[in-house]
Amino acid sequence: MVGPTSMTGAGVPIDVAGLTKRFGSVLAVDDVSFRVEPGRVTGFLGPNGAGKTTTLRCLLGLVAPTAGRATIGDVLYRQLSDPIGTVGAALEAASFHPGRSARDHLAVLALGAGLPEARIDEVLAIVGLDTVSDRRTGTYSMGMRQRLALAAALLGDPPVLILDEPGNGLDPAGIAWLRDLLRGLASEGRTVLMSSHVLSEVQQTVEEVLILAKGRLVRHGPLRELEDPASKAVVVRTPTPERLRDALREAGMVEAGSSDATIRVTGSTPAAVGAAAFRHQVELHELSAEPSDLERIFLELTGGEDQP
Amino acid sequence: MSRLALTAEGSVGHPSLRRLVRSELLKIRSTRLWWALLLGAVLLVLVQAGFTAAFEGEDQGFGDVSVLPPGDDPELLRTVYTQGFFGGYIFALILGITGLTGEYRYETITPTFLVAPRRHPVVVAKLIGHLVVGAGYGVACTAAAILAGGLVLVAKGFDLGLTADGVPRAIAMSVLAMALWTLIGIGVGTLITNQIAAILVGVAVAYIVEPLAGLVLSVVDAEAVGKFLPTAATTGLFESFDYGQSLLTWWQGGLVLLGYAGLFATLGVLLSVRRDIT
Repeated sequence: MVGPTSMTGAGVPIDVAGLTKRFGSVLAVDDVSFRVEPGRVTGFLGPNGAGKTTTLRCLLGLVAPTAGRATIGDVLYRQLSDPIGTVGAALEAASFHPGRSARDHLAVLALGAGLPEARIDEVLAIVGLDTVSDRRTGTYSMGMRQRLALAAALLGDPPVLILDEPGNGLDPAGIAWLRDLLRGLASEGRTVLMSSHVLSEVQQTVEEVLILAKGRLVRHGPLRELEDPASKAVVVRTPTPERLRDALREAGMVEAGSSDATIRVTGSTPAAVGAAAFRHQVELHELSAEPSDLERIFLELTGGEDQP
Repeated sequence: MSRLALTAEGSVGHPSLRRLVRSELLKIRSTRLWWALLLGAVLLVLVQAGFTAAFEGEDQGFGDVSVLPPGDDPELLRTVYTQGFFGGYIFALILGITGLTGEYRYETITPTFLVAPRRHPVVVAKLIGHLVVGAGYGVACTAAAILAGGLVLVAKGFDLGLTADGVPRAIAMSVLAMALWTLIGIGVGTLITNQIAAILVGVAVAYIVEPLAGLVLSVVDAEAVGKFLPTAATTGLFESFDYGQSLLTWWQGGLVLLGYAGLFATLGVLLSVRRDIT
């Protein structure tokens, strides 16, 4: 889907080892280590100010780390022989001169990287900006800017894509489009790392998650594992908690961490809990699935503030 | 796997200086600023050159030191025909300043350094690109000065005098000086990356601080220092009218101006290479 030169062969991983960055007295990134594997979409999650952008900028040679290393296929970005043909990055959707057309923006980059002009039309078509490419970017909506940033990242048809908040400013249809595009790119064997501060935005897209908070990596693993249903809880509220407890015991359900009128049940579903209560004619005031482990971790980190 | 020869130096993908210069020239061409600045420069040059020619042999209003030589004096001719520089150099300076600060203001410095992560060549390419466009400004402004100044002189019954003593050299040097002042702009932009602040400081230093400093230095009998200031050195390079100031000879002035441009260009390269792009 990316063009005639689409990649073949083994993928290129991203490695971050002991990465630390201090700006004056602020410790922006604190001893972060992880590996991003090719062939899947990895989500880089965390609230605003967690250090995601600084980590990505260290990886791209834009910011010099205080300690540690960040490499692409074991090579520092600055030492890549073909940077644009190895890594495509979209860092801010605002990195355009408002008086320059989208086509000229891409042409400036293509000229510098020695890419053929035909490639500009290809990437414009991929992101769906081909009909508006001669307009100045100052007239673009946020969503169009995101698409242009993505087009710039795809210019060199790179095996590695690093995207900082690519979903920002996209409408639901745009998010769905982005999901299909990124999953398609990953399925071709590319390494795709996308950051976001909004979990719901990437939940349908990523297979692997890295969660960063206050400069530290707090979670790393497959999304599936973090969303393990066994760790999910059902929350029930009732005016007669003793009767409900009897009903749950009879149904063989495990009660966990309850208080007064609110009872949490793990390893079950709202439907099963509801059925058990119904059999014992227990009055319920609330019956809901607690957010998954991942969502809970994420909400704890963000304080829920950045959720839409 | 050939495309992923990650460690091979100097492969096809590594940006050459030639490519980066073409990229820089496209950056300048693809927005409207270059011609807006050039238009402003040419209009100001037409007025300044016309008035300078019209005032030949007359007091410009500041007493004895401001009496211009007559219209057939080579010094007057050099002064009229280098108004291309004096009218336009502030616009060339602004072009250079925005050429660098614009990248920070609009954050295009990020994609720029992603294309060429080894930063020296990018900044060198930016300097070369702006030198070329600055020379173009010099040609256009000097042509405007010859047009407006020449018309007035001929109307007043003088010769055009384009081959008079020192005039051809002054004309050539005014094109060169314009290009060098564009480089100084890049250096100012590297020192002060906030665009508005950089333009204000650049214009204020050239139009207000330097003339005042020159005045103060001449009052305290330190003209030997004043003639080394950038605009005074440029005036010496042209051997144009000195308003009573003592000036460097043309080649000394040229060397001093080259020194300024070299200093600012070097600062531009060194500072850009080390800076974190956040």
